[in-house]
Amino acid sequence: MAEESVLTDDFIRQLINVGEVDVLVGLPTDNNAETIGPIIRTIQAGILKTFPRERAVIINADGGSRDGTPELVMGASIDDVRHAYSGQALRTLHSVSTQYAASPSSDTALRTILAAAELLRAKACAVISPESTNIESEWIARLLRPIYYDNFDLVTPIYRRHKFEGLLMRNLVYPMTRALYGKRIREPYASEFAFSGRLGSDFLARDIWGQEGGRVGREMELAISAITGAYRVSQSFLGTKDRVERRPADLVPVMRQTVAVLFSSLDTTFTVWSNNHGSQPVPTVGPEYDVTLEPVRINRKRLKQMFSNGIAELEPVFKSILSASTLSALQQIASLNDEDFRYPAELWAKTVYEFAASYRKSVISRDHIIQALAPLYRGRMFTFLVENRSGSAEDVENNIENLCCEFERLKPYLLELCNGGK
Amino acid sequence: MSERLDALWYKNAVIYQVHVRAFYDSNGDGIGDFDGLAQKLDYLRELGIDAIWLMPFFPSPLRDDGYDIADYTSVHSNYGTLEDFQKFLAAAHERKIRVIVEMVLNHTSDQHPWFQESRSSQDNPRRNWYVWSDTDTRYRGVRIIFLDTEMSNWAWDPISKAYFWHRFFSHQPDLNYDNPAVREQMWNVMKFWLDLGVDAFRLDAVPYLVEREGTSCENLPETHAIIKELRQRLDHEFPGRMLLAEANQWPADLRPYFGDGDEFHMAFHFPLMPRMFMALKLEDRKPITEILQQTPEIPPSCQWALFLRNHDELTLEMVTDLERDYMYDAYARNKTMRLNLGIRRRLAPLLDNDRRRIELMNGMLMSLPGTPIIYYGDEIGMGDNVNLGDRNGVRTPMQWNGGWNGGFSAADPEALYSPLLLNPVYGFQAINVLSQKRTEHSLLSWMQRIIRVRKSAPVFGSGSIEFLYPANHRVLAYARQLGDETILVVNNLSSSAQAVELDLRRYKGKVLIEMFGRNLFPRIGELPYLLTMGPYQFFWFRLRRI
Amino acid sequence: MAESEATMREIIWQELTQAMQEAVRGFAHLLPRLIVMLIIAFAGWVIAYLLKWILRSILRLAKFDKLSENAGASQLLNRAALPPSTELLSRFVFWVAWLGFILIGVSLLGIGGLQQHIARFFLFLPRLFVAMFTIFFGLLAASFFSRAALLAAVNANLPSPKLLSISIRAMIIIFVVSMVFEELGLAEQTVLLAFGIAFGAVMLGLAIAFGMGGRDLARQFLEKRFVREKKNEKEDEPSPL
Repeated sequence: MAEESVLTDDFIRQLINVGEVDVLVGLPTDNNAETIGPIIRTIQAGILKTFPRERAVIINADGGSRDGTPELVMGASIDDVRHAYSGQALRTLHSVSTQYAASPSSDTALRTILAAAELLRAKACAVISPESTNIESEWIARLLRPIYYDNFDLVTPIYRRHKFEGLLMRNLVYPMTRALYGKRIREPYASEFAFSGRLGSDFLARDIWGQEGGRVGREMELAISAITGAYRVSQSFLGTKDRVERRPADLVPVMRQTVAVLFSSLDTTFTVWSNNHGSQPVPTVGPEYDVTLEPVRINRKRLKQMFSNGIAELEPVFKSILSASTLSALQQIASLNDEDFRYPAELWAKTVYEFAASYRKSVISRDHIIQALAPLYRGRMFTFLVENRSGSAEDVENNIENLCCEFERLKPYLLELCNGGK
Repeated sequence: MSERLDALWYKNAVIYQVHVRAFYDSNGDGIGDFDGLAQKLDYLRELGIDAIWLMPFFPSPLRDDGYDIADYTSVHSNYGTLEDFQKFLAAAHERKIRVIVEMVLNHTSDQHPWFQESRSSQDNPRRNWYVWSDTDTRYRGVRIIFLDTEMSNWAWDPISKAYFWHRFFSHQPDLNYDNPAVREQMWNVMKFWLDLGVDAFRLDAVPYLVEREGTSCENLPETHAIIKELRQRLDHEFPGRMLLAEANQWPADLRPYFGDGDEFHMAFHFPLMPRMFMALKLEDRKPITEILQQTPEIPPSCQWALFLRNHDELTLEMVTDLERDYMYDAYARNKTMRLNLGIRRRLAPLLDNDRRRIELMNGMLMSLPGTPIIYYGDEIGMGDNVNLGDRNGVRTPMQWNGGWNGGFSAADPEALYSPLLLNPVYGFQAINVLSQKRTEHSLLSWMQRIIRVRKSAPVFGSGSIEFLYPANHRVLAYARQLGDETILVVNNLSSSAQAVELDLRRYKGKVLIEMFGRNLFPRIGELPYLLTMGPYQFFWFRLRRI
Repeated sequence: MAESEATMREIIWQELTQAMQEAVRGFAHLLPRLIVMLIIAFAGWVIAYLLKWILRSILRLAKFDKLSENAGASQLLNRAALPPSTELLSRFVFWVAWLGFILIGVSLLGIGGLQQHIARFFLFLPRLFVAMFTIFFGLLAASFFSRAALLAAVNANLPSPKLLSISIRAMIIIFVVSMVFEELGLAEQTVLLAFGIAFGAVMLGLAIAFGMGGRDLARQFLEKRFVREKKNEKEDEPSPL
């Protein structure tokens, strides 16, 4: 059986000592000793406040940290031996840690957490990122209450963030997920989320583990599984998301974790998305959020330049992926200067769909298709930044809504591409 | 009696708490009496107990079940005469059973002649025997103990037109211990009973003896001084007799009541008891280990008194709000079961009549450091009647057989001091001594056996305790040690089977002998010792090097 | 005189008859073999046709055309006005098979000298196939890696990504072609030497170029891989997620 090989003997022994739990919080780490201490304490405070009587455990799946992260986690256990916790705890709250590999892999980390959740028969599970230094104890309640008390199967987060953060999510992943599967989930891929034991077990049982070592994006797959299966999904407003500075080199790996997974799912969930029309909102817990609007410095010029560059250099590649009309339209806007440049929503939706269809047919290597999309996305980013430069939160929201409508409107086109091209 | 010279008898004793009224009625008036109690001494001897603690049997208007005393040196006519008592005492001593008498020092009934005199006028010589005040504002902020019935610690006396202080019911005025006459008189009262041959006193409500402005009026140094004085006189004139304190306080606040071995010999460990029930429900040993970690060392001649249940409600005064809410929801969903700050239920109903849990709780009672006290009826698993007022639901007649009035009394059922339990689960036809005596595996037989095992090893009463902290938090494990005798106790607090690995390296090389069946268990080696345990199971292992 | 003439005529007639007899004998000796050879040739044609048909079906099933499109082979063939790969390969196999059979037949004729050449032809065949595979997969690899380099360079905003892509493709193709020549045994040494020089020169040039120009990139790369540090670079790109 696949799961056993992920869990070491020592970890199994630790799980025996923990026993059945009601609530499980998973923490995948890799050299996070700097930030992990306060985060664990916040998680514990959240658990004790929200579930004072329930049995709970914190599971740390560590990818070979060398800075003492696992020791920090285990030392934070609340039991009759350690007295570091000064608050009130009715019962023992274990913090166990296991090293799943010598080098980090988010795929294996998630699998370890799912396996532990299944063995401990946890009813509600959450995954928290060890880099979320903005976490509040309320997040535990907001993520887990809907699962534990209201029988939801998946809770995705909503963050308060800057209007220019998370553009890939808001320009591609969200609109496309929404158009395909009909559920308005804003962050199908996030560093924090919660799932029910039922969903976790079902997902773990699927025959997708152990193949293609080093594959990423399982969290996104989990979300898509939940959306397309007989599961109840909801969203929960958490709080402010950390602003993590990213380098442009991070874009392609991120796209692999999200866009590639989304494109792959076209195959496996064909019957679901081909029969779905329109979209419905998803039950949302928590206050309405607003984007923050403080000015932030972004190198817009570079984005446009990389877009134009991409159009010019990658023409042979695009020829195999895009339709002739789309490609010529792109070439046309690439020739515009910065002031006039606009990557309209409709063209972007078409681009994405054509990429998705080509990905599905593997016209060239799939990974190359994803890489080829990156410069085009940068062009779209540029337009988004320009359009919302002085916009209010509401304006931004409206623009995204319009984009989503474009995606939904053009969905038959995607269907046609997928069917006809065969 | 040569045992009288055994000054530390109380450390290895098993005590049986009983109310005369509830045990056995010999004269058919529906109320238990001393003659009846004397007749049942053989049963108690067979059970294996060493001492009986009698609840108050003094003359009293019985508005607080005898804790409102109207005459300290006599016996309530319901229960017999002083001669009957003496006969009973002699019979108990003959069977090597000691007798502990309840002494309520803090207050008397308002029917007591002393109070009648005290209230009659301001000039009465006994005026200062009680605590009077013109206003009810003195000692502001002092907590009220009987929250469900009392609004204030002061009560207005219309006769003497003044307020008198009462920490308990308003018909139980507090004696004024600042008055040397009171102190002398109370010693004389105790001396009276000691002269008759009584072996020990349980002193009720000791923290409240003395009041001082600006304090909580509990545990004051003056109170301790009084106790030291009492103890000194006791040791001088009656060596070998014992004083047991009833003080519902945190362990750290209880410690002073032992003094340096010059105050009480024993004190109840109140905070442990609710935590045992809590740990059982949580399936987590944390509540127990935490309270015992906080329990201070006591002088070697002193001893804790442990109990699961008693005549009062299961008190939740010494727990946090979070814990109290949990206990209420876990054990007393029905609000009628809640009283003051506790739960008024017997042991068996609290544990859903689950034999395994009853055994486990008794096992912990018998193996944790201290002297165990068994509440009458719990040895057969008697139930309770929450429809009776106050705490009377746990004070129903003892069930001896399935016949007339459960064998308690020949009177008409309607004449009994309290209705019998009649339901099919706990009624006297289902739960009674006679039927349990006949079966080898009844709860009564089991209780006899565990008492026997406990008494076979003095280490339980006199030994030290060291907790093992296995990673499996559902298992409570500790080692008791006296000299070179070591006993390992392992308790599974969970309702499901558990595997636990114990670090027994310091006992490496010893063989485990399970104390009930006397079977051999594997020798301790270098590796962690693996035990697998069924639901609510416990083991007592004697460690033997051989 | 008349007698000698008659004798000569007799001798000539005798010789002629003998020669004719020999010829006929020789012919009769050859004819069955010829017939057998024709039969073999015919059977060979049938089998070769079958092989071509089977191969074409297999290739169609395996979507060979698409694969070769990926390899860029299709474009090459198109430009050379050749039929598509599946077709080409099938036909090639047909001809080779049939030729093989014919040659087997010819060898039966027992015409000396031909045996050796025929044997050598058959020995040559496997190497021909290996060479073809090498070219095909080499083209595939060249196409894949050159495209990977192109995409990586574009996304990393490196200058002249096309140049990089083309140079990588060229290098791989040169390498592959050299391998093929060696496999076929054509001017081995010359080609080997020429390849070595060219390849070496290109590598040296690239090394110098990258070494000097790509210092920073190399440092970044190493830092990212081997030193776990917080990402403090302010590259001003908002987080995509």
